[in-house]
Amino acid sequence: MKARNRTIQLVILAVIALIGLFTIVSNLSAGPAKYPQVGDKAPDFALAGLDGATHKLSELKGKTVILNFWGTYCEPCKREMPALQRQYDKWKAQGVEYVGSNIGENAITVRGFLDQYKLTLPVWLDQDQAVRKQYGVSEYPTTFFIAPDGRIAKKQVGEMNDAFIESALAELVKK
Amino acid sequence: MITNTKCECGHQNPVGTVLCESCGKPIEDDGSAATLEMRYDGVARRSQKQNPTWLDRIWNFFSSVKIAVWLIIITLLGAALGTIYPQETTFLNLDPAVYYKQTYGTLGDIYYRLGLSRTYSSWWFIALLFMIGTSLVICSLDRVLPLYRALSKQQLRKHHSFLLRQRVAFDGVVPEQQDEASWLGGMAQTLRKRGYRIHVGEDGGAMLAEKHRFSRWGPYINHIGLIIFLLGVLMRSIPGWSMDQYVGFVEGQPTRIPNTDYWLLNEKFSVDFYKQDEMTPEFGARDRIVPKLYATDAVLYRCTADCAGPQPKLSEVHRQRIEVNKPLDYKGLKAYQFDYRETPMILSLKPSLKNRQTGEVYGSFELSMTKPADTYRVGPYTLKVKGFYPDFGLDDKGLPMTKSNDPKAPAFIFQVTGPGLPAGGAPYLYFARQIDKAQFHEQEINGALGQQFDISVGSMQDVKIASYTSYLNIRVDTAMPYIWTGAAISMIGLIMGFYWQHRRIWLRIDGRRLAIGAHTNKNWYGLRADLAGALGKNGIAVAPKSLETRGNRA
Repeated sequence: MKARNRTIQLVILAVIALIGLFTIVSNLSAGPAKYPQVGDKAPDFALAGLDGATHKLSELKGKTVILNFWGTYCEPCKREMPALQRQYDKWKAQGVEYVGSNIGENAITVRGFLDQYKLTLPVWLDQDQAVRKQYGVSEYPTTFFIAPDGRIAKKQVGEMNDAFIESALAELVKK
Repeated sequence: MITNTKCECGHQNPVGTVLCESCGKPIEDDGSAATLEMRYDGVARRSQKQNPTWLDRIWNFFSSVKIAVWLIIITLLGAALGTIYPQETTFLNLDPAVYYKQTYGTLGDIYYRLGLSRTYSSWWFIALLFMIGTSLVICSLDRVLPLYRALSKQQLRKHHSFLLRQRVAFDGVVPEQQDEASWLGGMAQTLRKRGYRIHVGEDGGAMLAEKHRFSRWGPYINHIGLIIFLLGVLMRSIPGWSMDQYVGFVEGQPTRIPNTDYWLLNEKFSVDFYKQDEMTPEFGARDRIVPKLYATDAVLYRCTADCAGPQPKLSEVHRQRIEVNKPLDYKGLKAYQFDYRETPMILSLKPSLKNRQTGEVYGSFELSMTKPADTYRVGPYTLKVKGFYPDFGLDDKGLPMTKSNDPKAPAFIFQVTGPGLPAGGAPYLYFARQIDKAQFHEQEINGALGQQFDISVGSMQDVKIASYTSYLNIRVDTAMPYIWTGAAISMIGLIMGFYWQHRRIWLRIDGRRLAIGAHTNKNWYGLRADLAGALGKNGIAVAPKSLETRGNRA
């Protein structure tokens, strides 16, 4: 009888302690949504590419990734595209991948734009803008440079030029 | 310290017992005549042990009502601190590190640095709330089990000092013309009629009449309800169990509900306004447009495959008209009508391809402004969509571009192939809106092809327009049934405790001497009336008031 009482007491206290732990942990992590910052692991996502297949960011693990949020209606995005194309062609052989996450546009609109400007950059379509929200992007273009280990090495809000992209990639590929 | 807890009746009581578990005699009988403390029937609480282990000490801490009261006071003070300045959560977009100092000076800065700007989500506040919850559970368990045991095996023959030190007591003799056993039988009969349950001792000289014992469990049932309620509130932090967001749905366009596998289509939005003659003259004079009723005919889809892709496979699961206060409800997913806005835009067109010279119509095709197909076949011609500009414009180099992603001024580039055209086809720039056709000179820029063909809609019947965007409040609260259950149980417990009382009357006959003690937790008036009435029917006339002892009977 005594031993059973003790067990029941122990079980009740253990359940209470567990619930307590859960409460405190879930409340502390519930705070305002945290967007990925430099040094964080780049959150994985899956999007359909212009080629029709579904792509995952995690499939590019081990490579340096330029994750570029853009739209054809965004003037500075359009301006930096040729530089991105040149740098992508130059660094591709050394394990650099480009992911152009298009913000909510139509496949035809995007394809038409790429044809018009003679670009061959691989573009993924963020139809619901879910990835844009996941990464907390509110200004276009925004570019994340992701190191081969999957961590965000650099975040750039605004237009980039050849020199900027070159130096960012040189630092990552060297490592 | 070892205290002797053995009663003179021979019963060995646990440490902490106030009144002997068996005969009811006070353990520390100081010979006084004061009314006895009847709380928990005088039994020891579960936590009162002689050699507490560390486990018992934690248990004892939470089982103390005094500590529970302190926890509540500290929590109240903490909650009050959080109201001095606005909490961070009241602001959407500002840097709290700067804001508090700027607005409230040094005190504000200290407030922020102490973390008081996030009081209600701070670890110490949540820990306090949690400790109150724990105290609720343990306090209840600590008292309900011994009380249950005490009430389920009550000794009938109580000690004289127990009986006569009750607040309601009677000390007298059995009426002369009756023998003890038949008088006791008559008393039992009377009390039974009044709804009492009668327990008579084997020797016949003692009786217990008891009524509405269940009301004693009221407070504990109330606590169980509160605990379920608290657990329900806690469950809301399980991912997916609670959602509250506002989403805009353009007419005719299935839109994904963020973070779910559901798509919702606003088939048709309708709004009804108050007419001038329906308003009071004063109100009508203000010349305001007041909606009378607005509703969304909604269709809910669930995605079955390719949810992340551009062509998710959707299957209809539910269809409902949403009105204010009549939300869509599907498996716990609720959509409340919240707001609307007039957002006229073209959804799709059904233009025809015509020969400009002969007027011959080759056919028509359904052209979506949000999801155009890759190619259209019209009569002998094939139109391949090479470009789509939802909001057509020209950039500074004079090249076509789209100014935004909304179909405000849609334009398409078709590569047209067919009889009489070059092998690779010829491009045709098509504007959906008549006004853009004129402004950008559709016929002229398309050159020879523009002279040969005309793509246009015949009438407004071939144009599908979304006039409204309906804003819905999407909510999920899976924990709600638990919260309601907890609240209902708590209410049942409260009613049990409020509207019924546990009344007990102990009766003991020694020779001709009759001793009666009676106890209830409230409504002493009713108890006195019960006892005086029963005594009166059995030949002992007493005024109910005279039974009130105030501790002077013994």
